[in-house]
Amino acid sequence: MNNPTARRWAEPLRVFGLVLPAWAALGVFFVAPLAIMLVISFAQRDAYGGIRPIEDLRAYLRSWQWLANYRQSFEGMYLTILWRSVWMAVATTAICILISYPVAYYIALLARPRWKNLLLVLAVVPFWTSFLIRTYAWMLILRTQGLANTVLLSSGLIHQPLDLLYNDFAVMIGLVYGELPFMILPLYASLEKLDRTLLEAAADLGAARAATFWRVTVPLTMPGIVAGVVLVFIPSIGQFIVSDLLGGAKTVLVGNLINDQFSWARNRPFGSALAFEVTAVVLATVAWYAIYARKRGGMEGL
Amino acid sequence: MKFFAIRSALAIGLLIAPLACKREDGGAATRSNNPKTLSIYIWSEYLPQGVIDKFTAKTGIKVTVDTYENNEVLLSKLQSGVARYDLCVPSDYMVKTLINQKLIQAVDPAKVPNLKNIEARFLNRPFDPGNKYSVPYLWGTTGYGYNTQQIKEKLDSWAPMFDPKYSGKILMLNDAPECFAAALKSMGKSLNEKDSAVLRQAADKLKAQKKLVKTYNSEDYDNILASGDVWLAHAYNGQIAKLARREKGKFAYVLPKEGATVSMDGMCIPAKARNATAAMEFMNFVHEPEIAAEIVNGTNYAGTNEAAKKYINPEILNDPAVYPPPELLKNCEFMEDRGEMTQLIDRLWTEIKAQ
Amino acid sequence: MSARSAWGGRLLAAHAWAVYLFLYAPIAILIVFSFNNEKQTAVWKGFTTQWYSALLDDRFIRTPVANSLIVAGASTAVATIVGTLAALGLARYKLIPRPLGQGATRGLLMLPLVIPEIVVGAALLTFFGVIDWELSLWTVIIAHVGFSTSYVAVVVGARLAGFDRTLEEAAADLGAGPLATFVRVKLPLILPGIVAGALLAFTVSIDDYVITSFVAGTGATTLPLYIYSKLKTGVTPEVNAVSTALLLFTVVLILIAQWLLRPRSGATPGGEK
Repeated sequence: MNNPTARRWAEPLRVFGLVLPAWAALGVFFVAPLAIMLVISFAQRDAYGGIRPIEDLRAYLRSWQWLANYRQSFEGMYLTILWRSVWMAVATTAICILISYPVAYYIALLARPRWKNLLLVLAVVPFWTSFLIRTYAWMLILRTQGLANTVLLSSGLIHQPLDLLYNDFAVMIGLVYGELPFMILPLYASLEKLDRTLLEAAADLGAARAATFWRVTVPLTMPGIVAGVVLVFIPSIGQFIVSDLLGGAKTVLVGNLINDQFSWARNRPFGSALAFEVTAVVLATVAWYAIYARKRGGMEGL
Repeated sequence: MKFFAIRSALAIGLLIAPLACKREDGGAATRSNNPKTLSIYIWSEYLPQGVIDKFTAKTGIKVTVDTYENNEVLLSKLQSGVARYDLCVPSDYMVKTLINQKLIQAVDPAKVPNLKNIEARFLNRPFDPGNKYSVPYLWGTTGYGYNTQQIKEKLDSWAPMFDPKYSGKILMLNDAPECFAAALKSMGKSLNEKDSAVLRQAADKLKAQKKLVKTYNSEDYDNILASGDVWLAHAYNGQIAKLARREKGKFAYVLPKEGATVSMDGMCIPAKARNATAAMEFMNFVHEPEIAAEIVNGTNYAGTNEAAKKYINPEILNDPAVYPPPELLKNCEFMEDRGEMTQLIDRLWTEIKAQ
Repeated sequence: MSARSAWGGRLLAAHAWAVYLFLYAPIAILIVFSFNNEKQTAVWKGFTTQWYSALLDDRFIRTPVANSLIVAGASTAVATIVGTLAALGLARYKLIPRPLGQGATRGLLMLPLVIPEIVVGAALLTFFGVIDWELSLWTVIIAHVGFSTSYVAVVVGARLAGFDRTLEEAAADLGAGPLATFVRVKLPLILPGIVAGALLAFTVSIDDYVITSFVAGTGATTLPLYIYSKLKTGVTPEVNAVSTALLLFTVVLILIAQWLLRPRSGATPGGEK
């Protein structure tokens, strides 16, 4: 590798080789299927839930009919639903970060080395049980005659059972609960390699502990935070099962909408259009953040 | 380096270990064109294991059972053409769709002589005239169950489900067609209504009802009713009948006098089935009187087999929740695919849920 | 450590324990109700181990459990390798700057996370139909590799960020070839990230319902599908029992692995102080 020309080509080739497996795997089994769905999103539903065949393609394109589903997805009611879904995802992510950061910090920096791996695994193991059972267990806890109310009533803290289930409170608990490992693990991965000498140096230079935290620790672990946000926020936008079970299915999120189109409403074109609308919004946000962060040097490693 | 090696070996070992697990064989055996296998795709908890075992014992055909929770997954899988089931059991309206899309094949009545055991009123239904493609399996109704200890009067109509005095104590199925059916029937209309004005009225009724509803749930409604969180639960009759028998005297099922949804499923053979012969043998087996009775006794849903009645558990046979009296049935209707109106109902349902 | 930071440390420990309590509350319920002497899990009616003996006799639960483990194991293995390589490649893009390739790859890896599961499931089913690939356990594994790769890539990427390139350069200067540098310098340092990513991938795979329900072939029922199907008769204690059993099995496995991998004479995994 002493030839300068060879070395110049070696690097791009190496990168190409590294990302090739991912492109092969995801390209064939993700992009291709999704491309089919994209095409379907431009079609229309026929009377019985299939795809209406297009006789005259040119006329279809010229009449802008192919955008009908997208136009519908931008109507007021649907936009409100999308907005509500995004907000729920934001709230979930924010609460997750607040709860998870101290835990990841503890495991990575304060726990005894021997226990680190165990603590990490213990944080994940509950999620190897079925999410359905976990959610039903939460219903058992939060019900009117459930565990929580029984404990609170018998200890005399309250005199009437609290309404803990089938509302937003229960939904938040369920959502945050389900996403914790996806925030704890990336944060841990980032915190674990934090150079403690840097913290000591800051302390030596006279920084208060809060200042050290906000001006040294957090910026250095930003990649972990961003990774956690990606793993929690993005999938949360499309979720609906937990919110249906714990919230009583009394609200509509974009996940419900899309699920309906693929089940009883049998309107795949509209469902696909909705899904791609969400995708576009999310990818746009990520792209915007990437450009913004590159200028401020914060988003590496994503 | 050795440390690293041990760790990798352990990791790989942990990942490969499951392959050594013994699986009850459903894999390779059913995928070859083996005439001795049958692959069934059916609703969950809808086929007692005893029946399957007896079939295998009698014919030597190995059976695998996979389950689904809604008709649309079945439709998707059959449309894809790469899901090779030999027998599936869709609901009535789905049978019609499958016939239209040529996804199921004709049943040879010569191979299913036990068709003669089936009650005449279940044969020759509009969704499959002449039973060319389907053999009736079980049927049921969608009414509601209620807590008789909390509600002392005997209920018999849809009105209580929309009554503000039960605010916060009502459960509705999380199923748009069923909720619209309840609203339409309580308004005295057909549940297959296609008039958009009438549908909007039904939607308004459901919107008004929403603040009375504690939760919408299509799977666990019997448990939620049993737990006391709600006093009235929109429900399919089978699970409520089971609950009422288990907790004697505490719960009852109502098939409202205005009418409700009645639904039936039909056993069908997918067009790409590998073993249609075994499927037809199974269809025939299921309608042997004692076997049909075993299915009813096990699932708590009413059977379509006349000859089986003498073997059915009398508690179930005489349970009006499972076998309703004919005068209540006359206002009941089968649900039909509403074609173009489905999009309107979807939009209305979204409005109801979104408010 | 000063007294103030010791107190702070104790607060953090308390918070961590509270969170773990929160994490295990439903699990505790799960385990307790697996001993419930009543078919419906709604009310407690006395202690019994009948569900565990039923489990041993139940030959129908073995297939879903085995299927789930096979799918999770296989897809995690593949996803960990592919995802780690992708993350490494993504990190190296900075050296050759090619922002379009970098952006496209980043977008590709994020796609499985963004698209709602039901769309992915339906899309994959349609796709397999178009290329006439029969559904089986393999189609499930392939589907799982798809989304698991994203999780691994994102977590390893976070670990790789800000990786000190001077370490690699130092190794090269000392005469080590690129492979040796990778294996003996880079890999051990990013290993915690890879392990974390693999754990997440396994978690996501073993719990997947929606996508699996679309692409599972005959006999390819996994545990989540099986459990969902049992909902009609209520979440019976037997379902709780199988989950508890699985949980116990994995915890024991982890403890054994932990014991086998315990640090010997000073060296700690991951090389921290």
